[in-house]
Amino acid sequence: MYQYDDYDRRIITERARQFRGQVARRLSGEITEEEFKPLRLQNGLYMQLHAYMLRVAIPYGLLGSNQVRKLAHIARTYDKGYGHLTTRQNIQYNWPKLADVPTILDELATVEMHAVQTSGNCVRNISADHFAGIAPDELEDPRPYCEILRQWSTFHPEFANLPRKFKIAVTGAPGEDRAAVRFHDIGLRIVENARGERGFEVLVGGGLGRTPEIGRVIREFLPKRHLLSYVESILRVYNLFGRRDNKFKARIKILVTALGVEEFRRRVEEDWEASRTPELELPDEEIARVAAFFAPPPYEALQAGNTQVAGFALGRDRELGNWVRNNVMAHKVPGYSAVVVSVKAPGTPPGDVSDTQLDAIAAIAERYSFGRIVITHTQNFVLSDVKTSDLPRLHAELVALDLGKPNANKLTDVITCPGLDYCDLANARSIPLSLEIAERFDRIDYLDDVGDVSIKISGCINACGHHHVGNIGILGIDKRGEEWYQLLLGGSPGNDASIGTILGAALAQHEIVDAVERVIERYLESRESAEERFIETVRRVGLEPFKQAVYGRPRVAAAAVGA
Amino acid sequence: MPAANRWVVTARFTDDGANTWRRADGTWSRQLADAGLYPDEAAAKAQAADTAAKEQREITDPYVIEVHAVDGTIDPLTARERIRASGPTVRVRRPDPDRAPKADRG
Repeated sequence: MYQYDDYDRRIITERARQFRGQVARRLSGEITEEEFKPLRLQNGLYMQLHAYMLRVAIPYGLLGSNQVRKLAHIARTYDKGYGHLTTRQNIQYNWPKLADVPTILDELATVEMHAVQTSGNCVRNISADHFAGIAPDELEDPRPYCEILRQWSTFHPEFANLPRKFKIAVTGAPGEDRAAVRFHDIGLRIVENARGERGFEVLVGGGLGRTPEIGRVIREFLPKRHLLSYVESILRVYNLFGRRDNKFKARIKILVTALGVEEFRRRVEEDWEASRTPELELPDEEIARVAAFFAPPPYEALQAGNTQVAGFALGRDRELGNWVRNNVMAHKVPGYSAVVVSVKAPGTPPGDVSDTQLDAIAAIAERYSFGRIVITHTQNFVLSDVKTSDLPRLHAELVALDLGKPNANKLTDVITCPGLDYCDLANARSIPLSLEIAERFDRIDYLDDVGDVSIKISGCINACGHHHVGNIGILGIDKRGEEWYQLLLGGSPGNDASIGTILGAALAQHEIVDAVERVIERYLESRESAEERFIETVRRVGLEPFKQAVYGRPRVAAAAVGA
Repeated sequence: MPAANRWVVTARFTDDGANTWRRADGTWSRQLADAGLYPDEAAAKAQAADTAAKEQREITDPYVIEVHAVDGTIDPLTARERIRASGPTVRVRRPDPDRAPKADRG
């Protein structure tokens, strides 16, 4: 993984020192909250519903075990014993005291971490496919390009005050988009052209929030050497022409829609032709230099483990079998597997990890996966490089830590924003619904029968829980100060990208999980075969049968009010 | 005493971001139950503005909420303010002693 050089170390240490001075001035009353707010946001420090919240940047979700131990130490020492995995592959702490934050930043700097650009109207943490580097369907590892973009965008003076926040994601797997690149301000897909050359398909203007949009292709093939100059031109056009008068109309997706993709492309190409200079070109040697940080670990030469995986999946140990079937993914190196560590145990808020779990996962990663851990945007961990023969021992250790649920991509693997339990912007709670879903459907045979289906819950229209792209989406809304929920069906974040449609009138909190169950029942009745996935059935039969299932019965209909 | 709508001044402590409510004597409490009640919104807003001007070091973002007050009990009118007053309704790994997870308040 990437190692800081002297320059990286200096800027992060200096930033932490600056922030210590700013905090001291705020605590002494020398500066007001109005003056302090933009300074704290530049360092990832929010004011949430009950306390400050510090969001720590984790570029493309990749962590070393020493960094995970540091995150555990911070949770234990400065917070309430846990951290929360976010949908941008970051981690956030919900309870830091203001006076402690500079010390936390100092501690993070010792393990090459920081909280810079995790808030504010700048380029945010660059995210990537959580199976980057090991997926059999991958054309090329996207992380070197994420890292190049991270270095270019960190403290970039021209883009420190964009009209609104800006999110970039990269995938190197053309066949399956696990990074939701079509729902980012810029999405980059590594592709190969007719001559066999690698480059990027460039998408712009995707996003969720109150105006969900699927990203539009503005360049089908961008040679790698032009990555920075072209992305810079996109950002320059956005910076010049994006709206600043209304924050709800300020994202690049609004500009792309207003101009039309053709005109937006023309402006980008015009700027690119006029502005690109040799300094922004990426020579092959520079790409190779950064890529060397992501060189494969020293794998052993092993026999292919497919038979072994099948043996575990069908073996006598049913708990192990269920977990191998659902949470173990194929690896491009024979004899190795990738493991999704579920952070979705019943009774615990999704994505919450305790200090002891963090310490334990660091030790596990060292024993089984070359000391590397990845945070997924679905709020789980991935251990990327596990010897297939080690799966039974690893499973036993994860179960002991309450991290062994066999539910990856299943009904109870819910993406959940913090909602009104923590978030200052939320209209309604998300986590209690997720916990109710986890409890209601915690039956492995049922989960396996239903198959892959995603539920995503947001406590407000800002859509941090990605509800628009859930096969089943739940959106919390406020009605006269009380919590209500809209149910959406048909969203998907992948190559078959689609935005969910609201099913009908809003539902009360106590009705929403019943409604989800009725939707699932209707799917099971309607699917053509066990192989037809939930999303495929919804697309084939349309929403009407599901509306009937949810609203056609008196109990839910009686509680519903106008949406 | 019949229920009546009143107003209280709430804010955050700058030190830790914790929610706080202004007592009638002008000090600040971490418990909504201690809040001083204002019979009209305008008086409460005037107090919030005064707090913003004079207590900005200790207190951040003061504002006014409407509550239902009866027999010494103060109930906010919105889910948001109820949760602000009583803490997350879900498990917190190491809760403050007075902030154990509450049952669903719907």
